[in-house]
Amino acid sequence: MKTKALALVLALAALMLFAPVLGAEEGLTDTEIHIGQWGPQTGPAAPWGAVARGTGVYFDMINAKGGINGRKIVYHMFDDAYNPAKTKAGVKELQESVGIFAWVGGVGTAPGLAVEDYLMERKVPWVGPAAGSMHWITPPQKYLFAVYPLYFIEAKALVRYAVRHMQKKKVAIIYQNDDYGKNGVEGAKEQLKVFGMDLVAEVPVEITDSDLKPHVMQLRRSEADCVLLWVSPKHAVMTVGTAKAMQFAPQFMSTSTCSDYTLMYKISNGLWEGVICTNFGELPDSGSPLMLEYKEAFKKFAAKDERWGTFFLAGFGFAEPLVAGLMSCGKDLTREKLVAQMEKLKNFQGIMGKVTYKPFDVNDPNCRQGQHEVFLTQCGKDGAVIPISGWMEIR
Amino acid sequence: MLDFIQSLVNGIAAGSAYALMGLALTLIYKTSEVVNFAQGEMALVSVFMTYLVLDTYGFPFYLAFPAALVFSFLLGMAMEFFVLRRAKNHTVLSMIIITIGMEMILLGFVSWKFGADPKTMPFPLTPYDAFIVGNIFITKLETLTLFCALFLMAALFSFLRFSRFGLAMKAVQQNPTVARLMGIRVKRVLLFTWGASSLTGCVAGLLISPIVMQPYMMWDPMLKGFSAAVLGGMTSLPGAVTGAYLVGVIENIFGSYVSIEFKSVVAFAIIVLVLCIKPSGLFARHHVKKV
Amino acid sequence: MDRKRDYYEDVALFSSGWEIFWFGALLAGLAVFPFVAKNYYVYMANYMAIHVLVALGLNLLTGYTGQISLGHAGFFAVGAYGTVTLMSAAGAPFLVALPVSAAVAALLGFLLGLPALRLEGPYLSIATLGFGITVTKVIGKLEIFGGRQGMHAPDLVLGPWTLSTDRDLYFLIVTITVLFALAARNIMKTRVGRAFRAVREAEVAAGAMGVNVSQVKTVAFALSAFYTGVGGGLFAFVLRFIEPELFDLMMSILFLAMVVVGGLGSIMGSITGAILISWLNLTLRNILEIPYFGDWLKELSHSFFSITGVSNIQFIVYGLIMVGIMVFEPLGIYGFWLRTKKYWKTWPF
Repeated sequence: MKTKALALVLALAALMLFAPVLGAEEGLTDTEIHIGQWGPQTGPAAPWGAVARGTGVYFDMINAKGGINGRKIVYHMFDDAYNPAKTKAGVKELQESVGIFAWVGGVGTAPGLAVEDYLMERKVPWVGPAAGSMHWITPPQKYLFAVYPLYFIEAKALVRYAVRHMQKKKVAIIYQNDDYGKNGVEGAKEQLKVFGMDLVAEVPVEITDSDLKPHVMQLRRSEADCVLLWVSPKHAVMTVGTAKAMQFAPQFMSTSTCSDYTLMYKISNGLWEGVICTNFGELPDSGSPLMLEYKEAFKKFAAKDERWGTFFLAGFGFAEPLVAGLMSCGKDLTREKLVAQMEKLKNFQGIMGKVTYKPFDVNDPNCRQGQHEVFLTQCGKDGAVIPISGWMEIR
Repeated sequence: MLDFIQSLVNGIAAGSAYALMGLALTLIYKTSEVVNFAQGEMALVSVFMTYLVLDTYGFPFYLAFPAALVFSFLLGMAMEFFVLRRAKNHTVLSMIIITIGMEMILLGFVSWKFGADPKTMPFPLTPYDAFIVGNIFITKLETLTLFCALFLMAALFSFLRFSRFGLAMKAVQQNPTVARLMGIRVKRVLLFTWGASSLTGCVAGLLISPIVMQPYMMWDPMLKGFSAAVLGGMTSLPGAVTGAYLVGVIENIFGSYVSIEFKSVVAFAIIVLVLCIKPSGLFARHHVKKV
Repeated sequence: MDRKRDYYEDVALFSSGWEIFWFGALLAGLAVFPFVAKNYYVYMANYMAIHVLVALGLNLLTGYTGQISLGHAGFFAVGAYGTVTLMSAAGAPFLVALPVSAAVAALLGFLLGLPALRLEGPYLSIATLGFGITVTKVIGKLEIFGGRQGMHAPDLVLGPWTLSTDRDLYFLIVTITVLFALAARNIMKTRVGRAFRAVREAEVAAGAMGVNVSQVKTVAFALSAFYTGVGGGLFAFVLRFIEPELFDLMMSILFLAMVVVGGLGSIMGSITGAILISWLNLTLRNILEIPYFGDWLKELSHSFFSITGVSNIQFIVYGLIMVGIMVFEPLGIYGFWLRTKKYWKTWPF
């Protein structure tokens, strides 16, 4: 009696959802290539959602220029709210209903790891996960091409600069207590070991923390003269501010996550001045021809309240190697061919650092890690960017 | 020793924001026995509206802030009038779900209107300027928050204790039906309570906004305020404030000396322990239900 | 609603031939479903079935015994982490790991039930909320659980079969869910169930009638935690990757919402509530793709709101559904069903 309603609903549902139709190559017609991406548009991680929207504008630009060898890119983006269960649902739905040829970007380590197996089992290429995690390349996967330099590399670059060029003796780190932060700690430790040093303090921050005083006090107690900020922009500003209130003034250094100086300068009321950050791509206001072209595209295709910031631009950068790979495939495109062409990319230069892949080798993580270089900049007055190093290649 | 005193001061500084949220929650619980999970987001809406007025329309802050308080008062009343009053059956659980639903609506509204990027509130005080006495520091903003919390507590407390309206509120809490028979306009009392509570929350929100301003900013203070209110007994205003300072101080001392990773949960552990001994919190008499 | 004639009718699992018929039809539908539906819908069904399991468990506690809990994500995490760790670190077979970790969750539930004996309302909600948050922090601290970097679920081997596709998992999960739903229904028809309800309605009166109130409350906590632990153990394999941040307060809140929206104290209510909420959870993101309505929303965002935040309409719809159901029908979906049934009872007269 009570089960009646449910049984009815299920019977109806069963009637309506019939089996999928699989073509020769999924997500590909003579005129279209279907490409997908997830990104948090809602929830606490929503500021990172700009990556997925940026990719959309990039594809609009490519389509306006005539597409890829006569095919237009059809871009499918969905909101997963940084919740792996939702990521998996969205990826499966798009993959099985629309059919996606390749995936690009995708913010977050946990959401990505939840779908990695699924995509790899179906042999769907996935280029440029938007998280610098070691998970992507340990072990390397044939169809997964990482672009984003590892958080691990970024930490090494900063430590190397701090010790070699700034003669810092005591390096400490304040890190978000997750994969992102832990990777930073590992990188910093490994590099410090080379110099025969160790971190003087490792202070974990919870994502939900709203008061960082005890954390900064620990840093001050360690008398660090250089502090790495492996945290979200909100917490980075809080740390710098609290340190200022305590009259604790080490050199602060942070990751590419906090390298959007215009934004950081604004939300910190100017305290961000002097902070050194790693960058993995050209800056949004650089004047290179490619950047100017992208900026044009931004003006033409982006929604009016969109902001031309680092995350948005990163959406362009993660998709560049994929588009380069697709372009070089010619007219008869297959997934296998795309993988083969991606493997041939050597020192590919877009707005990010040089991207190189090698033929697949299970024992060589670097065959699927595209970018190995970062450069350092310092935040100047009014969020101006002062480059302080060239591209540093780090392995 | 210096560190210890500093931790104590930090705890009190952190506790002030919790105290304001705790006061707001207590006010509503006191009269209507509703745990208002939307409290933080009600403040959030007021704060972002203030931001809109300040940043987009360029009003000076001495006009915008009082306007924000009025707006938040109206918002609270609207919540009571349009949603809570319409509910058919006032059980504790259905009220919790309704306020959680409201929380989602308000949060969704703010994120829809303003996007997810962090904003800067044009606040007249820069958030990290500090008074330094000896080696102990406290920021100016925190001092202001401390005074606001104590002032609001004193004002609300004396209002409830000495005015006829306060008496009416107490009557409504104890027995709404009898209160109505005695000529108290129960609905009006509830309307006013929600307004006042929303206003208190708005003050908390405005004082938090210079430090962090994005859609999820009120989540943590709300939870901490809630636990502070529970610690203080849920029905006592001075209890909520005391609870808030206790939570702040315990957190900070625990964070400095024991484990920073468990700093954010130690408050809850302490509360469970306290509740084991005093099931209705520190400052409320244990209320035994009659059959 | 129907008049009961004797005790055995009251405790029978099915009260009429029709009920058995509909139940059989449901089972048949469930068995056919994965063969006709796309893989994606099977994944969704798995997700829903797990939430049904949790809602059933939470309903035993909140709906039948009247104890609020905002910490069930903690039990869910214990189930998930326990199962995965026992299998990958200790090499235990799935059929051992799952019950063992659910039993651990039940033990924790029992322990949490002890302070809960004296608490109610907001006090109990804060205590359980604290438990939920603390569990995930502790798990994140322990390296055996992969710390904050999470861990992969191992292959799920069940006797001769390796369950790797969603369809394989479906049969496992749905079988367990159906069995547990029947068990919950059965428990509610026995002495234990009646004691639960007696405690909810009037604690003191129940005590006077000879119900051991403390025992009932702690057992309800343990039982509820057991259900949730089983759900968590299965969830780890649906997701194949777990990390502590997954099991946050929001999850506990959604669990509670499922039970309350579905209808407190009703098995069917919990099932429909869980299905509705988890369906919304997985599909609301497509709200902008609805023809006309989605375009209208986008248009609206262009003129009055921000297009970058347009996805947040999900939250508003979600909230409106929750508020709407609770404002107009405190008994939730189950209440609607009862009213509809009553309305049509005398049809066509």
